[in-house]
Amino acid sequence: MVKDHVLNEMRTAIGQPRNTYLDEWVNSGGKIMGYYCSYIPEEIFTAAGLMPYRLRGAGSEDSSDGDAYMSARVCTFVRHTVSLALRGELDFLDGVVLAQNCDHIRRAGDLFRKKVRPSFYGFLSIPRIPKERVYGWYLEELKRLKAEIEAHYSVQITDQKMEEAIALHNNTRQRIQELYDLRKRDAPPLTGEEALTITVAGHVMPRERFNSLMDGLLLELKDARVSEGYRARVILAGGVMDDPRYLKGIEDQGALSVAEMVCFGQRSFGKVIESGPGDPLERIARHCFFNVPCARMVECFDEQVSELLNTMNEYRADGVIFQRMKFCDPWAGDGHNLYWRLKEARVPFLSLEREYQVAASGQVRTRVQAFLEQMGK
Amino acid sequence: MAILGKERQEDWEVVYEGVNGLMELYTEDPDSKGMNAILKGFGKFTEDLFGAVDAGRPVVWHNCGCSPELIKGLEGVQSMPIEVLPVLQDLVGDVNYTMALIDEAEAHGLAPEVCSIDKAAVGSALKNLYPAPVAMLCHNTPCDSQIAAIKTVAELTRKPVRMMDVPYLYGDREVRYLAAQMREAIPFLEEHIGKRFDWDRFKAVCEESNRTAEYLRDWNELRRHMPCPQVSKIVALVTALLVAFSGEAEGTAIARAFRDEAKERIERGESAVEGGETYRAVWYQDPVWWDLQFYDWMESELKLVIPMDLFGYYSPETLIDTSTPESMLEGLAAKSLRAMPMSRQFKGPIDNFVDDYIRLCDDYQADFGIFAGHVACKHGLGGIGLFREASREAGIPLLYFEFDMFDPRVTPVESIQAEISHFVDDVVKPRKEAG
Repeated sequence: MVKDHVLNEMRTAIGQPRNTYLDEWVNSGGKIMGYYCSYIPEEIFTAAGLMPYRLRGAGSEDSSDGDAYMSARVCTFVRHTVSLALRGELDFLDGVVLAQNCDHIRRAGDLFRKKVRPSFYGFLSIPRIPKERVYGWYLEELKRLKAEIEAHYSVQITDQKMEEAIALHNNTRQRIQELYDLRKRDAPPLTGEEALTITVAGHVMPRERFNSLMDGLLLELKDARVSEGYRARVILAGGVMDDPRYLKGIEDQGALSVAEMVCFGQRSFGKVIESGPGDPLERIARHCFFNVPCARMVECFDEQVSELLNTMNEYRADGVIFQRMKFCDPWAGDGHNLYWRLKEARVPFLSLEREYQVAASGQVRTRVQAFLEQMGK
Repeated sequence: MAILGKERQEDWEVVYEGVNGLMELYTEDPDSKGMNAILKGFGKFTEDLFGAVDAGRPVVWHNCGCSPELIKGLEGVQSMPIEVLPVLQDLVGDVNYTMALIDEAEAHGLAPEVCSIDKAAVGSALKNLYPAPVAMLCHNTPCDSQIAAIKTVAELTRKPVRMMDVPYLYGDREVRYLAAQMREAIPFLEEHIGKRFDWDRFKAVCEESNRTAEYLRDWNELRRHMPCPQVSKIVALVTALLVAFSGEAEGTAIARAFRDEAKERIERGESAVEGGETYRAVWYQDPVWWDLQFYDWMESELKLVIPMDLFGYYSPETLIDTSTPESMLEGLAAKSLRAMPMSRQFKGPIDNFVDDYIRLCDDYQADFGIFAGHVACKHGLGGIGLFREASREAGIPLLYFEFDMFDPRVTPVESIQAEISHFVDDVVKPRKEAG
């Protein structure tokens, strides 16, 4: 079974900071650039010959090194990633590009800059309003970053290279979209846990290898029927979620996740970037900046709600399970506001807060069971 | 609208009575010019706010990261910080009302780890304690919790919000970027207020803002004096002054009173601490606003004075150039980025946050530093390791504890007192005695 093989490969790949695909890339002389968030365009790294690697805390068994620098009131996702970096377990990175995505990551940036000291440290000041009036600033920031990467790595990021990078990442986006389209079926050929494994893997593997694995997988999944025993279809929403085991704990209760509107889920890929004409960097910038906004952004909550409701409709979901990391302020505000908006729209909504690297506990399972019963499922 | 007059809502009545009661207490004290002035300002703010409601004048809400001069460029508009009620309640009213507002927001589903002042602002909106705004003008600073609160309040009121994006750094490019957004916000204000922006009026507002800044600059200098001439509890009130009164004569009057009081007391050779100060500390991060008498305790029991803190420090480099509309907008943007307490230190890289602390310890000849970690300030607590290292490298003993600036239930005053007492006895005193 191709599916079993691919999923096993990907589960292994996302379980630790390093994976065999990444090692192959490094062993063949490739360089790797770490980053935290999808507002930082991977295409720039790819065009510079660097493999984009989204920072995670996978494989971190404790956050003590991060805890030495950050209070326990900083989210565990950040403390684990910082711990890995401080312990040297991310030393395969040839550079990092960070941004003020949130207060926690902003301080992680300070620690990378002052303590981890990667050979290249880039920082983007990303506006928090997805509107035309500040888009120019974002574009300027990307131009500055591009120039800094060119200077540091002695490469020229030509328009041709940018177009090739767009094509490569669009291939991924198309495959992810195809994968998600299959989940609209009555009997989706894969679970949310499996889909999340795939989308997370896409963030930590060389993209050509990922796309190639996806081709075989999609071919097999097109005729497969698997998930029939579920009690309800749900959308998993919220902030960072790169732990498929947590989602499995939810799905084991009968709540099948049919789309993950989370960081590391489809939201991190978005729709394909339109082909030319026009400056490729500008097309990339527009794609990233005006993609489905996350909670860090303001003046766009109506769009966020519409996108969620449209996705529910498209995937015929019965409810929303919202999850956020403890101490995450942006998603605390949006969690509150989503609850009341969805209540107005009579959409069943369950809110869970969690810690990084902690599987769905008995309490979470009980709450999911109660949620399903409340929905009459 | 729920509020038609100040006497019709108990929460405001408590604040109003508190202000008047304290004014009676302090008026007779010739050494309390500064405190008298700010109390008078609080009273006037309350009267102005409800006066605007009674007169049918538009109210524009803003957040504490947004200095209100731009709003004041339109005649007849009342600006109102969304944090105002719980701030006043903690400072001059009854903290139990703040706690009730915090609980209200949490009961409505806002996560407990959101900042208490932001929860209390949401609670105030939930309880309809604020006059309805025509619009909200905000800055996305100083922290994520503020942004969460703004989004939540906007959602509750469904009123139009204009957010200005405050970038990461502080340079001239950043100033121009923010100034351009301010210019673009003017039509937004005009549309929702129904009046034209008045550049002459804005110029007068900016000039007033500069006058306030100049008094604060002088006052910052005077507070360096040894012994410190003025009480500790007054220092952090500068932030309340700037957020509520920037661009108003009231703000200048308060700043002048702060300055005059310090100057006169120095001339008379008076110390903030009766019997003379023994220790000086720079208080960093957030003040204890639910019990101002706590500062009296530090002075009387420990002979410890706080000559300066993060909320009181006003960076001297920023005055608004009022020669052209563009220079005024850029000046206001520079003030927002580089001078407003919290926005200056909290929003960017750790360097400003740490460098200001080290400089203050040096300038104010502090024996040690107190990092009072407000539990919701994730940026501050996220930088505590680097902060400690910097303090150690500079040879400044640092006391760190966590508490909540607006909610005494998190760490009671007795615990904070014990932390400080032990640190003074065990670390500062032996060090000082050893020379």
